Amino acid sequence: MATKEATVYILDLGRSMGEKRNGRSQTNLEWALEYVWDKIMTTVATGRKTAMMGVVGYRTDETDVGALIEESDGYSNITILSLLKQFLLVDIRDLHVKLRPSSTDDGDVLSALAVAIQMIDTTTTGKTGNKLKFDRKINIISDGYGFMDTADLDAIAEKLKEDEVELNILQVLGVDFDDPEFGFKEEDKDPEKEQNESVLKDFAEKCNGNFATLAEAISQLEIPRTKNTRPVPSYKGTLTLGNTDIYHATLTIDIERYPCTMIAKPPTASQFVVRTDLSGAAGASTQSSATIPGEDHRADGQLAAVKSQRVYQIEDTDHPGMKTNVEMEDLERGFEYGRTAVHISESDANVVKLETHPCLELIGFVQDEKFERFLPMSRTNYIIGQKTNTSAILALSVFVHALYEAGCYALARLVTKENKAPILVLLVPRIEPNLECLIDVELPFAEDIRHYKFPPLDKKLTISGKIIAEHRDLPTPDLMSAMSRYVHDMDISEYARGDDDEPSEYMKFEDTYSPLLHRINHIIRWRATNPTSSELPPPPQILTKYSAPPPDLLDAAQDTISQLKAAASVKKVPPKQKGRGKRTLRDREKPLSGLDVDALLGNPKRVKIDSANLIPTFKQALAATDDLSAIQAAADDMGANIRSLIRNSVGESGYGRALEAMRVMREEITELEEPDIWNGFVRALKGELLGGKLGGDRREMWWKVRGSRYGLVDRKRCFASEVSEEEAAEFYKA
Amino acid sequence: MLLTLLSNYKTIKDAVLFAIDVSPSMLQRPPESDDRKAERDSPTSAALKCAYQLMQQRIISNPNDMMGILLFGTEKTDLKDGDNTFAHCYLLSDLDVPSAHDVKQLRSLVENDEEAAELLQPADEPASIATVLFCANQIFTTKAPNFSSRRLFLVTDNDNPTKTKQDKDTAITRARDLYDLGCTIDLFPISKPDHGFDRTRFYDDLVYPSSPSDPDAPVSMPSTTKIAKSGDGISLLQQLISSINSKATPRRALFSLPFEIAPDLKIGVKGFIMIKRQEHVKSCYVWVGGEKVQIVTSSTSHLADDTARVVEKVELRKAYKFGGDTITFTPEEFVQIRQCFGDPVIRIVGFKSISLLPIWANTGKATFIYPSESDYVGSTRVFSALQQTLIKTKKMAVAWFIARRNAAPVITAIIPGEERYDENGEQVMPPGLWLIPLPFADDIRQCPEHPDKDIKATDQLTDMMRKVIEQLQLPKGIYDPAKYPNPDLQWFYRILQAMALEEEVPEFSTSDDKTLPKYRQINKRAAEYVIELEEAFDAEHKRQVRGQLQSSASSSVKPKKRAMPSEADDVKPVKLLKRIKTEQQSQATVDGQGVTDEDMAGLNDRGLISKQSVAALKDFLKARKQPVAGKKIELIERVQEYLEAKGL
Repeated sequence: MATKEATVYILDLGRSMGEKRNGRSQTNLEWALEYVWDKIMTTVATGRKTAMMGVVGYRTDETDVGALIEESDGYSNITILSLLKQFLLVDIRDLHVKLRPSSTDDGDVLSALAVAIQMIDTTTTGKTGNKLKFDRKINIISDGYGFMDTADLDAIAEKLKEDEVELNILQVLGVDFDDPEFGFKEEDKDPEKEQNESVLKDFAEKCNGNFATLAEAISQLEIPRTKNTRPVPSYKGTLTLGNTDIYHATLTIDIERYPCTMIAKPPTASQFVVRTDLSGAAGASTQSSATIPGEDHRADGQLAAVKSQRVYQIEDTDHPGMKTNVEMEDLERGFEYGRTAVHISESDANVVKLETHPCLELIGFVQDEKFERFLPMSRTNYIIGQKTNTSAILALSVFVHALYEAGCYALARLVTKENKAPILVLLVPRIEPNLECLIDVELPFAEDIRHYKFPPLDKKLTISGKIIAEHRDLPTPDLMSAMSRYVHDMDISEYARGDDDEPSEYMKFEDTYSPLLHRINHIIRWRATNPTSSELPPPPQILTKYSAPPPDLLDAAQDTISQLKAAASVKKVPPKQKGRGKRTLRDREKPLSGLDVDALLGNPKRVKIDSANLIPTFKQALAATDDLSAIQAAADDMGANIRSLIRNSVGESGYGRALEAMRVMREEITELEEPDIWNGFVRALKGELLGGKLGGDRREMWWKVRGSRYGLVDRKRCFASEVSEEEAAEFYKA
Repeated sequence: MLLTLLSNYKTIKDAVLFAIDVSPSMLQRPPESDDRKAERDSPTSAALKCAYQLMQQRIISNPNDMMGILLFGTEKTDLKDGDNTFAHCYLLSDLDVPSAHDVKQLRSLVENDEEAAELLQPADEPASIATVLFCANQIFTTKAPNFSSRRLFLVTDNDNPTKTKQDKDTAITRARDLYDLGCTIDLFPISKPDHGFDRTRFYDDLVYPSSPSDPDAPVSMPSTTKIAKSGDGISLLQQLISSINSKATPRRALFSLPFEIAPDLKIGVKGFIMIKRQEHVKSCYVWVGGEKVQIVTSSTSHLADDTARVVEKVELRKAYKFGGDTITFTPEEFVQIRQCFGDPVIRIVGFKSISLLPIWANTGKATFIYPSESDYVGSTRVFSALQQTLIKTKKMAVAWFIARRNAAPVITAIIPGEERYDENGEQVMPPGLWLIPLPFADDIRQCPEHPDKDIKATDQLTDMMRKVIEQLQLPKGIYDPAKYPNPDLQWFYRILQAMALEEEVPEFSTSDDKTLPKYRQINKRAAEYVIELEEAFDAEHKRQVRGQLQSSASSSVKPKKRAMPSEADDVKPVKLLKRIKTEQQSQATVDGQGVTDEDMAGLNDRGLISKQSVAALKDFLKARKQPVAGKKIELIERVQEYLEAKGL
């Protein structure tokens, strides 16, 4: 996995690379660079210092082989564009400018190859002349034109084969080279090109390299690359049955546990802040960051790293609702038991821990067909016999086969490290042509299951407990048979075609790629080479391939689908009825008995707002009327109450009630489609809060209003609003 | 849907206020009996025990949620704030996150009869239910003003507490106030020995069918909360605990999404987390600078690294590190990048046989979904048809799933969950569908390869092992999570509670850990088969290993006597210890991690010795008291010398 790499790209920059061929809209070079950039970017993205790259151009206008080769005789029109090193973003941007087609056709690919070999030699040879452990690789990308001096061909091939040992893979990638396997043949090929192609092909064979046409390489770029991770065991120990300390008839197998599934996370963005001191100290600070190589958060010129600072506070016992800052030195470790703080000194830290020893112990066995598939709650691991331990390997094999044949899974208790909490795992046998192992997965404990209840789906119960067989919530026989046909027609268990055209599973795990992970990698690479372009490209198609049913299958199932839709007759609930006054007392929720509570109270026309029963009376007041002035009056009353809650608040004590009142008022008024009433209130309130007009400094209350997003109601939220979305967003800014 | 999302910026917390009736009938103890299972608790005391248990449980499961206990109908009137408006209401513990003090007080009331007798004095006149409801209204308004879920657990045996119509009307109005405030009344009725509890007489006018705090939640089943009564085999306490447990955590939807069964056929579903690892609270900082230890809250502010200037959140930019530099995008571009896969949805791509869902492909916990009619009328019947069809055909759906805006798209299997009941007719598993996230190619790791592919189980050994397995089936051959409380979590809170209440810390006993295997039973049931297997295994192992060593002088290999634990020597004269474990040739490999001489010789013969890691070689040498210094090649040489000296 992480072997050191030395890769040199040899790029043909001759005049002919500037031409457009075979009906492509890009020049040959642009087309070839798609491949090269992708390769380079993928390497850069790993951030590995040991993945070194170099670039040599040939058929360039100038000649620059640096100090690497003393006499430049025979190396004309060859330029070292970049020596072997870890590539950084700056190198990419440098290189980007240099890769332009030249105005010459002179320059020998084999001389460039000699330069590349020399580059690798210099870098990968140790002080004593020994060859260091490296993956050496040279990629040649050429359109096959130009003169080649084939005199030294065999010598070079020998050198590649012998000296570099077998580590050297030579990939000759030709622009429009014939490749019968890929099914590509260029018609009316230039004789010189044809000659060169066959020479290079022979040459590639001689030094065990690959020879392929660029079209094939580019077509493979689409397939996202998955990262290989070295397996690291999470547990090395024993799998036991019975207590070996007390009993003799026990089983012990030495095993190792490795990850089987592990969610690959997309790269995360770090936080930065835009520099404010660009004019003054910019020079000094960029310099200082440049002189500290490998510093963790080096930012480019415009961004500065962000540090966080923590402030610790306790509730002031003398003034409820107020907080006091405390010093770090008065703090110790502890736990919360409810709202009581329990101090546990450093030396006592282990008292709350259950004392355990590493183990994997069998508890018992369960039948696989009775196992509820939704219970496993973690990623999975492989469990294999200890490597090199033949009896462990044999014993595990016996155990795996026995489980498999008995149709059983094992339940086991796992402790991976001293004093770690025990977990229960299910052990499942897995037998495949080249794999025999156990799979473990975590199971829930009693506390991990929540007992929510839901009504049955296949029958309906009345309040008295009677079973109803026909109901709008129950499927009709028509719907059942339509669904059954649909599930049958849309089966993709064998929808794909394998290599020999035999039916195979569609959408296998191996064929699906993490959309977000590859999207972010893709867009970072794209931005690195297109720093100024404003329009982001769409995600690569392969990432969205499995976001919808396969179109062919849908076409074939068209009739079934129409029947299913007809039988289902699902209707979207229309957006709320427009217009005020639709929602009245009469539509309000009734208790279980169906009693009309308002009728009981004689359907009052006006409800007075009671500050001791604020929210209910406000809701009832609104429900009792559809007269605008009455609504305004209720809102004014509510507003006055909110203000008084804030004014009378000791510290933050009244803020919670005020916020809840605001939430209800905002929601109800919006629903009545009178957003102006709310907007007028909240505008005034903001001013009073920030202006200190509600009994002192109430800025904290404003932060809470802002944090809860109880600001202006905009047009998106309510069509009757005159406030634009931008204005509503602006309102939150102080 | 967007609207509900926007308006749901409330504190996602739950407040439960227990209101327990204290009346002569509620205080009446069941007749004395010798039967061990007989009822011992009066209804009031059962309710208090229940509250005590719930309080302890909620400290573990919902450490930020509030709970309070209000007694009504008591002689005493006390709301702890000097206000005596609410006659015959006694606030035992105020609505708050429970403290150690609350737990202690409640426990002494539950355990100490005298103390209970003093407090639990019924008033001559029962408390008016309207007063209780308004009292609850005030408590919720002041103590838990913006909680998303506020519930009144009402425990009573009086199905008609009002005498006049006017009293009844006032109670109904007060109940409606509570509903408008956003609180739910959960009634836990208890029937009297001579008289059942009839909800229709009074409480059906007070209790509302849906929860105001989560009107979209599937209609709860208040009518199915059983009426607890004593003398039914299960004690009153058990019945109450079981009803209350089913309401211990308010049901909260994780998401509400369109479920696209086919193109242009969408229904509405809600997602619920039914399985989630319950962790204990993380350690925190406490302030020890004063008389009383206090909880510390912390807040973070951001500083610019270059100028140490305080930075507002809006100024923060996000950037990716790439090639030693940063790659930036505007906030709008970030949104675009994350949302380029479309709106949140569950979209069926096709159906597959459920056998194509191996357990090794698990990547995380499953999510439960249930239909909702709030966005699409007819959702329930279509959902039901799909669920029933999947059960019948043993198939699963495979779907493209985006749970929220900004959430990463995943591929998920959708499998049916069948409704199941326990022997008392209580639902233990609800009917619905489960979303099981599937791995992408990127998420699948390779299994490290074994150098030994030739060593394989034989039919004989497999059959013998199978016998062992068949002997050790768990009850009904199923895994029942209810039988395995998390030992670490339980232990943690037992200790923490003892420390919080300043009591003696308990001693650990193995019965506190239900995950420990039942060794005695295992031995009793499987010992003879294990011994049989052991003997056959040793023979087979020798045969297979010898087969590999072939030409080398391996025929002379004799397994050496294995070091036995000394205490075992004392107990039994015959050593039957199973030897699948490494055949240890050296005392030094006591930890059971060692490679045997034969194994190493085998590797050497097959030219695999150079593939061993330096660590493995060192371990091997160290166990044999050989020097471990030097380069890998030197280590290999030393191993080879050692083996040669042994004649291997």
